[in-house]
Amino acid sequence: MSANQIIYDLAVWLDTHSQSTALHESFYMYNWIESTHVLALMISLGMLFLIDLRMLGLALPDIPASTLAQRLSLPMLVGFGVMIVTGLMLFYAIPVRTSQSLWFRIKIILLIAAAINAWLFHRRMRAAGTDWDRMQKAPRALQWGAGLSLLFWALIVICGRLIAYDWFDCRTSPIEPIATVAGCLIDQAQF
Amino acid sequence: MSTTAKYYYPRSLAVIALLGVGLWLALGETRLAWWSALLPVFEWMEGTVFGVIGQTWGAAFASVQAIHLLGMALLGGSVLVADGRLLGLLLTDSSASEVQDQCHRLFVWALVLTIATGIFMACGVAIKVYYLNVFWYKMLALSAGVAFVYGIRRPLLRQGLDTVHPQIIKLVAVASLMLWFTVAATGRWIGFSG
Repeated sequence: MSANQIIYDLAVWLDTHSQSTALHESFYMYNWIESTHVLALMISLGMLFLIDLRMLGLALPDIPASTLAQRLSLPMLVGFGVMIVTGLMLFYAIPVRTSQSLWFRIKIILLIAAAINAWLFHRRMRAAGTDWDRMQKAPRALQWGAGLSLLFWALIVICGRLIAYDWFDCRTSPIEPIATVAGCLIDQAQF
Repeated sequence: MSTTAKYYYPRSLAVIALLGVGLWLALGETRLAWWSALLPVFEWMEGTVFGVIGQTWGAAFASVQAIHLLGMALLGGSVLVADGRLLGLLLTDSSASEVQDQCHRLFVWALVLTIATGIFMACGVAIKVYYLNVFWYKMLALSAGVAFVYGIRRPLLRQGLDTVHPQIIKLVAVASLMLWFTVAATGRWIGFSG
């Protein structure tokens, strides 16, 4: 059984849940969740952008970089927590189409890349000590981490926005290799 | 009476009064006349290069939407950190006036980015948004936000935080958070309307 078949079967199983249908068909509930997901961006990415821009010497240059990173971590993580919970709920509401969205799959890969980058960034920050704290720019390795973080998150937001568009949905029979990457199955009954 | 109390509080009250007049014009009897007069502007917007690109290339429109969101994230970050500092919740070990000044620079960049991308998006769906109440609520909230920042918040805080009553500082921070939250929330609701 292929990975795409397993993902499809799991999505179809989720779709059979009455709560999934109820969430999808509830105009206000679905839109409230989606709005919360997007508005949580302002907390999580807002804080993350400030930290990354500080590392690159483009924002808040007079505030010690490690202090800024430490102080903004909590609201940033709260924002990410809200985004993850609401993101899972959005997936649960439309599991089949979302799991077969090219943009959703790219977004997941980018999220994993961003998480690995964040882990490496924190490791490097701890290793770098605090000698550079008041310098306008962080050491080169941290600057790379911050730049990559900005790039990954910009792409994640773009992919997230593109999920709403149906250009490469399986029901439109996209060309290869898009169909394979999106996980479209030849004999699938549900879309 | 301090300079702040003599000059900046009356100035703030004058801006609040102006916002009230703006709201009265926007929501009162005269609004239909304003609204009808603006239709040709929105028809013209759809015919501009931005309007044509927005209607023809879905990918361009979606990408600009995403950049708009990134701008909102940066705007949200700068507002939250600046107001969080005023409320004593964030970066309390850094100078409050330094945080305000540096966050304001970011805020300006973010505001320019969101307004520029917002104009592009509005051109692509000008007639649709013209007939949406929530679009006008967003424009009202955005105008109030900009007037609040440049007419009340910045002039008041630039005088030095120690010259302003602590409760006023907290009130300014809460008002700012509520205003920009309203701007973001009404913006998001445009997507669900029409």
